[in-house]
Amino acid sequence: MAAVLAARSHATRHSLAFRLRRVRGNVLFALALVPFVVFAAFPVYWMFVTAFKQVNDLYNLSNNPILFHLAPTMDQVDYLFQKTNYVTWFFNTVEVGAVVVIITVLICVPAAYVLARTRFPGSASLGIGIFLTYLVPPTLLFLPLSQIVVGLGLANTKWALALVYPTFTIPFCMWLMMGFFKNVPREITEAARVDGCSRLGAMIRVVLPVSVPGILTIVIFAFTLVLQEYVYALTFVSSSDEKMITLGVVTDLVRGDVFFWGSLMAGALIVAIPTAVAYNFFMDTFVKGITGGALK
Amino acid sequence: MAEIARERTMGHHAVGRRLGHLLDGEKIFGYALVAPAVIYILLLVGYPFAIALWFTVSDATVNHPIGPFTGLKNLAFVLDDDVFKRALANTFIFTVVSQALQMVFGTGLAFLLMRRFPGRRLIRGLVMVPFTVPIAIGAMAWNWMLNPTYSVVNWMGTHLGLLVPPGPNWLGEETYAMISIIVVNVWRNLPFSAIVLTAAISAVPQEIVEAANLDGANWWTRWRKIMVPIIAPIIYIAVLFSLVFTFTDMTVVWQLTRGNPVNSTHVIASYAFVTGILSGGLGRGATMSLFLFPVLIVGAIVMLRSLKSRELD
Repeated sequence: MAAVLAARSHATRHSLAFRLRRVRGNVLFALALVPFVVFAAFPVYWMFVTAFKQVNDLYNLSNNPILFHLAPTMDQVDYLFQKTNYVTWFFNTVEVGAVVVIITVLICVPAAYVLARTRFPGSASLGIGIFLTYLVPPTLLFLPLSQIVVGLGLANTKWALALVYPTFTIPFCMWLMMGFFKNVPREITEAARVDGCSRLGAMIRVVLPVSVPGILTIVIFAFTLVLQEYVYALTFVSSSDEKMITLGVVTDLVRGDVFFWGSLMAGALIVAIPTAVAYNFFMDTFVKGITGGALK
Repeated sequence: MAEIARERTMGHHAVGRRLGHLLDGEKIFGYALVAPAVIYILLLVGYPFAIALWFTVSDATVNHPIGPFTGLKNLAFVLDDDVFKRALANTFIFTVVSQALQMVFGTGLAFLLMRRFPGRRLIRGLVMVPFTVPIAIGAMAWNWMLNPTYSVVNWMGTHLGLLVPPGPNWLGEETYAMISIIVVNVWRNLPFSAIVLTAAISAVPQEIVEAANLDGANWWTRWRKIMVPIIAPIIYIAVLFSLVFTFTDMTVVWQLTRGNPVNSTHVIASYAFVTGILSGGLGRGATMSLFLFPVLIVGAIVMLRSLKSRELD
């Protein structure tokens, strides 16, 4: 009996010490993680609070700013939709995004296909060369491009952006697409060729149908890259009704020295949430693409 | 004769087949399908770059884009401009300090995120948010958080006893404005560093680490002799991208300070924007932008070497 008790108490002591150590480990872990989460996500929470606060609450310095003291309101959102061109900016973004996506897919997919699947003189250098243009920043080319846009009669229109954006969506999406095509088994093209398909036919009838997930990924990426772009949008477009959504939100809701913070943050939030969701979904693909396939 | 007749009866179908046949040569097929991409990039990256080079040696303005040749006058002017010199220094400071902080905190965050815990996906999603939100919008949120009157950062800082009330005027004083820009850059890029590091570290084969453990290697030796050599090529490219993007970015600075107070926080890109677009001095602005180019060249070379070496494997 005594022996059993001793054994049991020994066991509990052991597990208690073990559990304590584990609890301490978890607490330390949480303490280390929480600052990162707060740092990363607080600005978005703050956008949310700002967007839905009543003005009297937002600008009352005696209140705790991170909580609601008056009932949340839709006033700022209403202002955004009724007193600004927000809806126009939204449709501008959709139109420009659609054109850019179409150009990108039409140009990237065939190029990526041949660069990934066939060898011809210069194919390797061409692939790397096109990818490297992704490193060329808007801030290097915005001055000459602003003149080219004027020359083409696209000055101060959203179509200037539709023309220029593929310069960065093509390199990136082509690189991603090359990765997808490399993973399509060679045998299926060979089988199609034996059956009498031309090279073009094999690509269109056999490889493209199995690459739909890849194509969808580049569609999403091209669109989010368009949504995030700022420098060309700021440089080429100044009329309010030609603006893209991101630019419109951060420029038109500042009138002189007056910032319409509530509406600004509401407009920002509406753009930020879908982008964040789309990106999170494809984060790993994005990283794989940007590290040039260094990750398997 | 009969042949022509046959072709006629077969109509456009034959033309299509002939095209298909012509395209069947591996070379022609390859060049034909790459050509649109190459042409697009030559016209809208190569050609503007050539114009940018011409701008730097001419007196081009928005009203007279085809200005007279002026040789190195723009360069001399730009190098003599104190604001530009400051912008050049700032660009390096912002890029290097942000990158260093990102790597240190990114490694920490990567190890935290590798652990399995309940709600890991949600936490990971929250931590990734800054990288996914368009940066112009993220920077605007920070501008509001650092507002001189309503700064929530100052409110929290003073209530936690970390800041002396009323707290600094973050965007209105030189040093604080520079700190703010660095913080926002880190905020933006930390998720990217962390996720690349996580992926890289998980790519290290567990057997090698265990073998080293059995051989009695301590964590520092394990890290330096096993982890670093394996993850280096991946980190290399990620750092390169993040360096190039931070170095050439003007969005954070523009949304936070517009280069103020008194032009002390400009970077190359934002000052080139002010000079070239707002003041219309295309020649001078393009000359400033061209200072971004050497960094890109170095980046491109590093990238090329790493891609080539991988192809040899």
